[in-house]
Amino acid sequence: MINKAICLSALALLLPLPIYAGKAGKAQDTNKAASTSAQNNVQPDAAERVFETNCARCHMPPSALSQRTTGTVVMHMRMRARLSQRDEQMLLKYLAP
Amino acid sequence: MPVASIKQRYVAVTIALCLAAAHHGRAQQAAEPDNHAGRVPVISGGFGYVHNVSGGATSLIPQINPVLLVPFGQHVLLESRTDFTGFFERQNQTSGPFKGKVFKTVEFAQLDWFANSHIMAAAGRYLLPFGIYNERFQPIWIKNLQDAPITATIGTRTSGSGDGLMLRGVATQRPQYSLQYTAYFSAHSKINQLQAARVAGADASIYLPQARLELGTSYQRFLEGHRINSVATYASWQPSSQPFDLKAEYDHSHNGHGYWLETAYSFRQLSAPHFFQRIQTVARIQQFFASNGGGNGLPSIDTQRFDFGLNYYIRDDLRFISSYGRSFSSHTDSNIWNIGFTYRFLFPLWPEKRQ
Repeated sequence: MINKAICLSALALLLPLPIYAGKAGKAQDTNKAASTSAQNNVQPDAAERVFETNCARCHMPPSALSQRTTGTVVMHMRMRARLSQRDEQMLLKYLAP
Repeated sequence: MPVASIKQRYVAVTIALCLAAAHHGRAQQAAEPDNHAGRVPVISGGFGYVHNVSGGATSLIPQINPVLLVPFGQHVLLESRTDFTGFFERQNQTSGPFKGKVFKTVEFAQLDWFANSHIMAAAGRYLLPFGIYNERFQPIWIKNLQDAPITATIGTRTSGSGDGLMLRGVATQRPQYSLQYTAYFSAHSKINQLQAARVAGADASIYLPQARLELGTSYQRFLEGHRINSVATYASWQPSSQPFDLKAEYDHSHNGHGYWLETAYSFRQLSAPHFFQRIQTVARIQQFFASNGGGNGLPSIDTQRFDFGLNYYIRDDLRFISSYGRSFSSHTDSNIWNIGFTYRFLFPLWPEKRQ
């Protein structure tokens, strides 16, 4: 009984945080990839969505990737996350426009 | 019908499906989009150190997991990850000098072929794709809590890796959803560093990009010794409006069943000083119920555990980690403390050729 109380109280500590944070406004994302994409006008909304949704499913998205390694890293991620060819191409255009 | 005949038909149908999918993919690749992404060989991975105190016994656990990525054009990739984990503990558990050794494990060494969206094939040694933990959250720089869930050994016998062939891909993709699948077969191997059990299994998941919700299920048949089935269902959710992450999994096998539920929240959207925005809090609850005496990496008695973690991201690739957990069972209750750091690295192995 005590165990369950501890577990539930700990979860309760975390669950309200998103509600509180809702007042904090939009994300202040400073990642270089996003700004680079916007500057190059490469379908920023769709490509950014692919980047954020697929990378964030497992880990914190990297703030930057060098262009010469991007193709290799995205191939690795495509196999790991079972990404489609379309998503791979959008990621490449987004990260290395 | 003879078993050999069934196998031949199965192989023939599989080859025909692969060829058809590859042909379909070639047709799709007529217009290659323009980008400047390079494909040089890369060495990446994670490095970290964890100071663990479990039930009063201290362990020092340094680890490094280099990942080698060597692409051959746009459709073939050689990838490998080796884990070097040191495990040092006091000679008499709580007193005496630290002693231990470094364990080396080849986690995967596979050749990938990207036929098209529907078919990707991997041959060699691969991580067993059972549930979401083993394949996706095992790297030290990814996992929010350093200790694996109790049920992580379900579906990953005997080494967490398989030696054989794996097919995977996107069955269908629409703006509202995408369906992914994986099927694999592993042969038995006793080769040093390449140990694997004879298993076959599959995984399927649906991802809803609008909701950022993934739901999936895994099945595995252990094909040597006592043949058993293992099943998992899992969910992963990252709402778009908040830096909140929820992952949950239920696993069932002959030796027991259980679940874990993990939530993580990053403070990066809080209207607070920059220092506090780098904090991530994590909580995980899990329960395991032993069957048939447990075993195969699972506890022999019912166990419950709670963990609470506090991570601090100094940069997106470097973080300080800490966690406290308490394990409850009829045998004993114990505290588990972890403190340390993780670092993700990525280096190109040589400059890209100018084209």
